[in-house]
Amino acid sequence: MSDPVERPADAATPPARPGPDLSSPLPAVAPRVPVISVRGVRKSFKIGDRSLEILHGIDLDLNPGELVALVGSSGAGKSTLLHILGLLDRPTEGQVNVLARDAWSRSIAERAALRNKEIGFVFQFYHLLSELTALENALLPAMIAESRLGYSRRRRDYEGRARELLDRFGMTPRLTHRPPQLSGGEKQRVAMARALLHNPKVLLADEPTGNLDSATGEKVLELLFEEQKRREFTMVLVTHDERIARLCRRTLHMEDGEIQADSTVPVPD
Amino acid sequence: MFRSFLSWRYLTARRTNLIGIGGIFIGVFALILILSIMTGFLDESKKAIRRSLSDIIITPAKLDPTVPSDAEPLLSKVRAHPGVAAAAPHLNWFALITLPGNTADAFSERFLSSSEHSETAGVQLVGVDVHTDKRIAAAAACVVPRLFGLDLRPPRIQDEFDTSELLAALSRESKVGAQVANPLFPFAQPPMASTRERPLPAVVLGEQLLYRLNLGRGSQIQLSTGVRDPEAKEWVFNNRRFVVAGSFRSTENDMDLGRIYMEREELADFLGGTQQYSEVLVRLEDYDEDGERICEELRTELAEAGLIAGGYYRAGEVRTWEQYRGNILGAIKNERVLMMIMLSLVLLVAGFTVFAILSMMVTEKRRDIGILAAIGATPKGVLDLFLMIAFWDALIGAALGAIFGTWAALKIDPIERWLSSHLNFWPFPEEGVQIFDRNVYLFDYIPTIVQPYAVAAIVLGAFFCALLFAAIPAFRAARMDPLEALRYE
Repeated sequence: MSDPVERPADAATPPARPGPDLSSPLPAVAPRVPVISVRGVRKSFKIGDRSLEILHGIDLDLNPGELVALVGSSGAGKSTLLHILGLLDRPTEGQVNVLARDAWSRSIAERAALRNKEIGFVFQFYHLLSELTALENALLPAMIAESRLGYSRRRRDYEGRARELLDRFGMTPRLTHRPPQLSGGEKQRVAMARALLHNPKVLLADEPTGNLDSATGEKVLELLFEEQKRREFTMVLVTHDERIARLCRRTLHMEDGEIQADSTVPVPD
Repeated sequence: MFRSFLSWRYLTARRTNLIGIGGIFIGVFALILILSIMTGFLDESKKAIRRSLSDIIITPAKLDPTVPSDAEPLLSKVRAHPGVAAAAPHLNWFALITLPGNTADAFSERFLSSSEHSETAGVQLVGVDVHTDKRIAAAAACVVPRLFGLDLRPPRIQDEFDTSELLAALSRESKVGAQVANPLFPFAQPPMASTRERPLPAVVLGEQLLYRLNLGRGSQIQLSTGVRDPEAKEWVFNNRRFVVAGSFRSTENDMDLGRIYMEREELADFLGGTQQYSEVLVRLEDYDEDGERICEELRTELAEAGLIAGGYYRAGEVRTWEQYRGNILGAIKNERVLMMIMLSLVLLVAGFTVFAILSMMVTEKRRDIGILAAIGATPKGVLDLFLMIAFWDALIGAALGAIFGTWAALKIDPIERWLSSHLNFWPFPEEGVQIFDRNVYLFDYIPTIVQPYAVAAIVLGAFFCALLFAAIPAFRAARMDPLEALRYE
């Protein structure tokens, strides 16, 4: 599978930045061309003869390097919007542009390549493959992207990246362990390493701490924010927790399928 | 790359997959083994038919008065053809055995008047040219060189060729029969024949007939037959006593139960000189190369020379052995085709096993399919992933099946013997079971022929079945909505 988007050669190892400080505001990022942009997105489901609309015309731009919290009550349409942003779900109406191109006018293979390389997913329930070890799970996006020959040629490079990520997440002693042998926090770290293997432009995290105790959740978030800072990818974080939302510079409040408020913390002088 | 990697992981992680591999293994194993045995049996049957027939059989239809009653003109015409190696006449007739055993005692009389005797009463008499006198003289010429240790084979006389089938039948080891003293001189007087009386003409019986009638070498039988007296224009019945010189084993049951060989001159005499020959048997230099062509040429030549009858109703026939036994050979071919079709159902069952296991796996791995889609797998990639699992199933199952099936087919005799001697525990009888009863068949061994192209076809068939049946669940997996799959717990 070919990479549809040009990327810098040194993308795998971005320059390190100072460590995370969850209490201090994040540095400002100059808005550029949106990584993902949605216009007039509606989503409805058919239930019998009735049609139930979940999203009522969403307009949204996600800029490079932005850290966005998506908050709202249950049933507000947060996850549906996240799935549409991640090209897992097709909107009933409206347009989804990824990297300035309409994603749904691209071929199936191109959309799959975008999900593979440009968009990373972190789910609440980790969603790891139980037959694979932690390292193999982290390497799965590379295995999907490459042919057998291509993978064996670049195997060392991919393994280096995966090991580096897992090492940063404190998972080195657990590389050969399988998901059933890992704790919740460990599983989520492996899922994060998998999402970040290709150094994506966007990371979509659907309540990544929703299934963890508060101490573990905080540690996982700390690692996630640290990586976001280092790599400067756009991150959309779906959460119920207002405290977590406050850590993000931009917060989107969703209610009844609409974005009720889009607030950005001003950059301190 | 993930297709082969992940499919192998899925395969090895779940023991239920062994059922799919096992299904294909059993299917391929059973197909190869049974097909090899059946091919062996059919081949043996074909050989048995072949052994008792010459390359070309000429029946001149002497009902037509223009056809000479003597065999000589036809024989010389046939022998003149460059492709013909040898030709000899046969005289066939029928008879009733009216005196089994040495004497017509009370038992024999009762036996003959019983309907139980009907199976063995009617026999076919076949008169062959052995030229015993000429061959004795020729053999005597070899005595001196043989004394000096030279192994000279007995001289072959052209006319004896048709007895070579008989010669093979006489030389074959027999369990129930009594072999003739010297197969090269089958109609020589048996050593234990009474010398006080005038020597009786000798006959050779099929081993089954000999066994059923409780006869042995030197026994006497009486044959009764009816011939039409051309002068009196009525049927007369001839009885004649013969001495049994021994038995033959043709491996064709009907022949072993219902045929008696004797010298053609002797049979012609028994029939009052009314018949000289029934058919001419021809052996070619190379039947496989140009049997059909020579047969056609002989048909034309003999018809033109008036040596076989023309015309629609009384047409003489010149047939190859395959045309002569066309029905049974066709039946053998049909049997093989039908068997192949029936046995292919085994592979269909194996295919269903793969289908069932993969369907189960697709349901079980629904969440994984969603994950794979979320991280960039295309529907085609998911399709290939599940097809690859069926591919591994087929590869391992078919490879093991082919190896063990071929091995078992080649070693079927020792395996059968081992099983027969070791199956002596409950619920089997204490003395063990005889899986292959050698008394029932004409072979002492289980004939098997492993045909490489058949093995290859079976292996390919297994792959085809596995992938065909796997395609249904694999398509289901590929068409799965990733979101629905991700929500599945």
